[in-house]
Amino acid sequence: MAIHTHHDTEAGTSGTVWHEAYPELGTGPIPIEPCVSAEYFELERERIYKNTWLNVGRIEQLPRPGDYFVKDLPVCDTSVILTRGRDGVLQAFHNMCSHRGNKIVWEQHGSCQNFTCKFHGWSYSLDGSLRFIPDEERFCDLKKDRLGLTPIKVEMWEGFIFINLNPTPAETLTEHLGELGAGLEGYPFARLTTCYAWSTELKANWKVLKDAFHEAYHVPFLHKRSLPDSFTSPDNPYAHAFAFRLYERNHRMSVFGNPGHQPSPVELLAHRFGASIVKRDWEMADLPPGVNPTRSQFWAFDANMIFPNFDVFVFDGTYLTHHFWPLAPDRTLWEVKTYFPAAQNTAQRFSQEYSKVLLREALLEDASTLEATQSMLGSGAKKEFILQDQELLVRHGHKVIEDMVGFYRRP
Amino acid sequence: MPETRLPEQFRDLEQWIGWSLETEGERSDRRQASAMEDITAFYEAMLARMDEALSYLEQFSLEELPDDARRLFYLTLSLAEVAPAVEQFGQPSVVDGYDIKRFVATHR
Repeated sequence: MAIHTHHDTEAGTSGTVWHEAYPELGTGPIPIEPCVSAEYFELERERIYKNTWLNVGRIEQLPRPGDYFVKDLPVCDTSVILTRGRDGVLQAFHNMCSHRGNKIVWEQHGSCQNFTCKFHGWSYSLDGSLRFIPDEERFCDLKKDRLGLTPIKVEMWEGFIFINLNPTPAETLTEHLGELGAGLEGYPFARLTTCYAWSTELKANWKVLKDAFHEAYHVPFLHKRSLPDSFTSPDNPYAHAFAFRLYERNHRMSVFGNPGHQPSPVELLAHRFGASIVKRDWEMADLPPGVNPTRSQFWAFDANMIFPNFDVFVFDGTYLTHHFWPLAPDRTLWEVKTYFPAAQNTAQRFSQEYSKVLLREALLEDASTLEATQSMLGSGAKKEFILQDQELLVRHGHKVIEDMVGFYRRP
Repeated sequence: MPETRLPEQFRDLEQWIGWSLETEGERSDRRQASAMEDITAFYEAMLARMDEALSYLEQFSLEELPDDARRLFYLTLSLAEVAPAVEQFGQPSVVDGYDIKRFVATHR
C-alpha cells in the first residue's frame, strides 16, 4: 500500500514549512472521533494490531537456549510465548493449551525444558511440539503431531523481536521497517544492554499518548522545569525540530539540541561518566546514515516511530523506546525502556541513575496532561484537533492509521 | 546502631545513612516523603563529597562491593534521585507531574 513516497527534503532549517514537502497530507484540522470511538478502537484492533508486525521485546531477554518470556497482548486478545529453543532458534506461540484452551505459561519469564499445562498436565517442548499427554490412551483419534502450540510469525531486526498475528503477513518485517529501519542498522543497540524500564496504565486513548511524543512543540511549556534549555534556545524558543522524514507508515523527527545548554551540578558530574538525553558530546563515531541524517551540529536525538505503536528515540550513547499498548478506547498500557552500556564501575552506574531519573521526571511531565485531555475529548465540545507545521508527525500518524482502519471510508 | 556503616573517611555522611537505599522505588519513596529542607541538606552534603566518594569506590568492582562501600554507593544513587527536586523543581515531586506511584519501575 504505497501511500507516501519519500521526499528528499531533509536538509531543512527551522524556517522550513514541512507540510509543503508532503502536500497530500493537507493542512486542515483532524477529527477527534478516532480517539474516543469504541467502533474505531475495534477496527484498529482487527485491522491494525492483528495484522501488523509488533515489537514484543529484545533478544537480550532470551540470552540462553531454553529461555522464554511471555508478552500478554490484550489488544490482540492473546498472550504470546517467545522461546529460544534448545537449538537456539527463536519461536513464538499463542500461550494456549491444545487440549481445553488453558493458558499454559503463567510466569512472565524463565528457563525450562518443557511447558506443562496446570489443568491436565499436557506438556510441550520449547519448539511448540506436543510431548506428553497424561492418560493418552483414553483419547480417541489423537493426531499428536498436529496438536502442538499454535505458532505465531516472529522475526528479529537489530535484536528487536517482532511478531505478526496474521499467519500470512502482507509484508515481511524488513518491508514493514522499510527505509527507516535500514537507516538505523548499525546503531549500537547490541552494545547498550542495560535496560531500565517503567510502565503505567493511563486512562487515555493510545493515540493521545503517542501523539504527545511525536512533536516537540510542547517542550517549552510542559518541560519548562525539567528541561528548561536543553531543546530550546533564544534562537529556537519553540523547539522546532530541524528535520522530518515521512515514510510509508513510519516516520522520523530530528530534534534540536541547544549548544548553549547550562548543565546543573549533578548533571555535570553524571556526564563525566556516561550519556543522557541531554548530553551532546558526540561520543559515538560512525553513526549510521539514518541517525542524525542531516548531520546537523544541532542534533539532540531522532524520534523514530515504527508503525503502529513502537518508538525508538536514538541519542548519542543511549536510546529509549516507547510502546503504547491499547487496552480500551480510553485506556493504554505505556511502557518506557531506556538503554545504556553495562556499567563497568560505580561512577558509570551513578551516571546512569542520574540519566534515568532525569528522563523519568520529564516523562512524568509528559504524562501529566494525558488523562485530563482524554477526560475532555469525550465531551464533544470540540470535534477536531488543530495542528501546526511542527505537528506533522501527528497528522501523518492519524492518516496512516485511518488508511488501514477505513472508518471514514465506510459506506 | 552499627559502628562502621560507611567507610572510615566518609563518617561525616553517617547522618544521611537513611538515604542508603538499594532500589529506585525506595529512593523515590524517601524523596517523596521528605521535607524539601532535608532533601536540600542531603543534596549539599553529598554533592560536596561526590568526587571523593567516586574516587574511593573506583577500587571496587561493581559486583563485589564491601558492605560499607555499598552503602556509600547507594548514597551516590540517592543524590541522583534527589537532584531534580533541588535543581529543577524546588519541591520533592515533579511540579504538576503524573503520579509517580503509578509509574512503576520494572527494573530494580
